Amino acid sequence: MSRHGFTPDEQRYLDGGPHGDVSGAGRAAADALVRAAEAYRDSIPDVGARLDAAVLGAVRARPRRARRPWRWAVDGRVRPLWIPLAAAAAAAVVWLGVPRVPAPSSSPVAAVRVADTVFVQFRLAAPAARTAAVAGSFNGWDPESVPMVRDADGAWVVTLPLPLGEHRYQFVVDGTVWRPDPTAPAQVDDGYGGTNSVIVVGPKGLVRT
Amino acid sequence: MRPHRFLTATACAAALTVLPLAPARAQQGNLRERLEARGLPAELVDGVAAAAAEAEARGLPTDPLADRALEGWAKRVPTARILSVVRQFVGRMGEARETLRTTGLSAPAGDLVAAAAEAMSRGMNAAQVADVVRAAPASPSAAPSLRVATALSAQGMEMDQAVSVVAEAMHNRRGVEQILDLPSMMRAMQARGMTPPEIGNQLRLGGGPGGPGSVLRPGAGPGARRPGPLGTGPGAGRPPNQRPPRVTPGTL
Repeated sequence: MSRHGFTPDEQRYLDGGPHGDVSGAGRAAADALVRAAEAYRDSIPDVGARLDAAVLGAVRARPRRARRPWRWAVDGRVRPLWIPLAAAAAAAVVWLGVPRVPAPSSSPVAAVRVADTVFVQFRLAAPAARTAAVAGSFNGWDPESVPMVRDADGAWVVTLPLPLGEHRYQFVVDGTVWRPDPTAPAQVDDGYGGTNSVIVVGPKGLVRT
Repeated sequence: MRPHRFLTATACAAALTVLPLAPARAQQGNLRERLEARGLPAELVDGVAAAAAEAEARGLPTDPLADRALEGWAKRVPTARILSVVRQFVGRMGEARETLRTTGLSAPAGDLVAAAAEAMSRGMNAAQVADVVRAAPASPSAAPSLRVATALSAQGMEMDQAVSVVAEAMHNRRGVEQILDLPSMMRAMQARGMTPPEIGNQLRLGGGPGGPGSVLRPGAGPGARRPGPLGTGPGAGRPPNQRPPRVTPGTL
């Protein structure tokens, strides 16, 4: 006997497999059992479709998780949309984030960076002046960065290395009075109602007259 | 068009728009920093930056605008006047660039545009600008040549003759350094009592203060020796036995 009360042959009969000699009583008991099982199965309502719908509804209703931004690095897929955006962002970082070239210095050493330079001496006869300076296109028109000093003759002098080319300038006396150099080779309108002196520095320097 | 393709195309267009603007924004930042470092008031900085933005949009240089603003501010010129001068120069550079385009330069360098604008501000007309630029063997030599012609004019030579002198020098294969010496040569000839027309004629013949052919022979005189490195003292790089250059004393 099996543990369910059927003989092995009766068990095989129930399973639909090859079986040996099954008694009529055993066959009837097995058939009754099968019918009871079928009746029980039929009594259970069909919940499959409703269960599927309920599960899918619950899944769809749950809050969506944000996509992880690094997912592209994991699964190796990159949406084409991001490529030009990433390029633009990288360009912006490069152009805006790199250290900027400093603005031209307002100090007289600005000319030092230029290979082709010539030393030019500026002289101003202003015996009554307390201070004197020279300001021009070579120093960003800064009236304080190139002060002049008195020489033995009492004239105000300063010597600057200037790059080859044209330069406009004026003298600044006592910090506020702008005066052109009357002995400069050329004078031009400065656009502000004044006059700038002009020199063109060539390889031979400036001709002294 | 599918939505994602539309978005991709839009993003590409945006990227292509942003990339060229990046250097322009960097220039804007430099200009602002340069002006603010000198203590210019915000109103003036904003006005100059706006003019510079317009110049950049038209492909014009902005450094000359900053220079003009700094010059005006240093000379204590009212803000409105400075901004007027700056805006006027933007327009002048636009005219200059159009003139340069007539010479075949589709995208002239900023320095050349500025030099041409400056020359036109000082009385050189468009045809004369074009003559100098066409005579230049290479684009980099055009800007200094324009400045030299303008300087010769400021020293008293007629503009037509000044343009002719510079153009002739370039046709005769004078280097830029030799051309840069022309104003000093004229200065020396003036000191000897020569009139500007006489000087122009002599310079056109290739003559210096010592007579025809004395200085402007190719490979001789100015340019034969280049200035030496800084720090070697006054007179570095000049031909032997030449006195140190100097600007003669002014008198107040």
